[in-house]
Amino acid sequence: MDASWLYMYMPIAGVDIFWPGLVLIGYSVGVIGGFFGMGGAWMVTPGLNILGFPMAFAIGTDIAHIAGKSMISTIRHSKFGNVDYKLGFIMVIGTMIGIECGAQLVMWLERLGQIGPVVRWVYVVFLLLIAVMVFSDYAKARQKKKAGEVAGEKGVEGFTWYKTLHKINIPPMMHFKTSGIYCSAWLPISVSFTTGVLAGFLGIGGGLLRMPALIYFIGTPTHVAVGTDLFEVMISGLYGAFTYTLKGRIELVAVFVMLTGAAIGAQIGTVATKYAKGYGIRLAFGAAVLCCMISIILKQFKYELPAAVLILSTIGIICIYIMIIMFKGAANELREKKAREAMATKA
Amino acid sequence: MKRRIIQIVMVLAGLFWLAGTAAAAEVSQGKCLQYDKERKLVTIEEYDINFTNEHPYGQPTGTQSEYNVATALIGIPPEAGDIIRLAYNVKDGTKVAIRLMNVSKQDLRKK
Amino acid sequence: MQRIYHWGKNLLMGLAIMLPATAWAAGEKATNIVVVADTRRVTGILKYFSDLYNTNVVMSAVWAVVLTVAIGCFLGFIMDFIMERSGLDLHSRKIIEH
Repeated sequence: MDASWLYMYMPIAGVDIFWPGLVLIGYSVGVIGGFFGMGGAWMVTPGLNILGFPMAFAIGTDIAHIAGKSMISTIRHSKFGNVDYKLGFIMVIGTMIGIECGAQLVMWLERLGQIGPVVRWVYVVFLLLIAVMVFSDYAKARQKKKAGEVAGEKGVEGFTWYKTLHKINIPPMMHFKTSGIYCSAWLPISVSFTTGVLAGFLGIGGGLLRMPALIYFIGTPTHVAVGTDLFEVMISGLYGAFTYTLKGRIELVAVFVMLTGAAIGAQIGTVATKYAKGYGIRLAFGAAVLCCMISIILKQFKYELPAAVLILSTIGIICIYIMIIMFKGAANELREKKAREAMATKA
Repeated sequence: MKRRIIQIVMVLAGLFWLAGTAAAAEVSQGKCLQYDKERKLVTIEEYDINFTNEHPYGQPTGTQSEYNVATALIGIPPEAGDIIRLAYNVKDGTKVAIRLMNVSKQDLRKK
Repeated sequence: MQRIYHWGKNLLMGLAIMLPATAWAAGEKATNIVVVADTRRVTGILKYFSDLYNTNVVMSAVWAVVLTVAIGCFLGFIMDFIMERSGLDLHSRKIIEH
């Protein structure tokens, strides 16, 4: 059987790519990202690499796709809402330099021929960290439920490291009014630089690290941290897209294919949050992270096919699960609405 | 606000489309026969685009051609026997390379 | 658990800072990697982008950013438009995503 039509030639990377896999990854990132409110970019770089993209291309293509996706979510919010623009612009400096450093590091490792294994192992550590975070979150929620407390939106309160960090007295000292903090400008710059390096190196938005950093190290209120983080993700995506194309490590058409999938998926994912109940779904998310990690390890040890099957089926199953939640819920809502309208006309 | 953003994006897209359409370069791939570093000339035996498992870089056509690489961006320096790929323009009858890629020595597919 | 999380985070940050140093220490002279897109094998929009990439990298970088933004906005509007017509109530709850 001739299956060549399932493969698409990527002229810059010089590889044939199983394009339905590309669509599935884009779509799943949309659904899963939309549903859990996390970027989901962490699964794109390994996913692309497992599909056959050379590692540098996987990172570049992922970061460009983040730029497009953050545009979509920014449009949805129609404006940033609670952005501390002063803080945001100060952080842009660190973010951009950080991304450039991350990207240079990628190029350097590529020249040494070490890019694949190094990025894969960093990813394994990174995903393990996410999994631990998700599972501990779940455990905490269960505990609270047992204790009869209402689960709050905020995570742990009580870390006040920023108070110590605010005492650092290196000029220029700055006053960020929206966040209501006064500290050395170097604090946000160094925080954003570190997250920028990671974003540029792993091809992620970096929100997963930037959010806690903003809250615990800089001391921004949570709602301001959300907006400022979104702003930073957009900047890092755009700058990352620019610098990675300049380095010739982006397959633009793959970006568009994934973006289209992501745009549709994100709607389904965000709508599904409305109907989802309970914390059980978080376990599924943690499992997805772990499966992604395992498939990276498989890829590292050259089990190409099992790796591809594992990552694609994992995200596929989670997607279907979320879609079932969404369509059931939506059907219910529409039915109730119709019933209400029918009642209204009768009365 | 939304409409303003759309307008700006549309105008920009139009401009770049116009600017972008002008550029195109020929590409050829083949076995490097000689790299004359002093005269900045590369001679290759051109390969065609019939890629098979036995011939992943295409099959030899027997045609030899010479490229001026004085202004080209060169990656890993080519040596006789390497498979290289060039993007070039034809200027006054000579083929002037823009970029030169050493295909066999930097096989990205394995990364 | 929280402690493990922060420990892991610190480890990761440390790794990010240490990596350039180790790469530098490895310090062998590495050559630049140049890629030429094979335009002989593709047609249409793929050919257009690979041509642009081969001839003018800066332009293709700017183009990539502009196009990504344009497509992102476009898809955002289209999907909002479609979802609003689905009859679902999309305003009664908070969307947090990034």
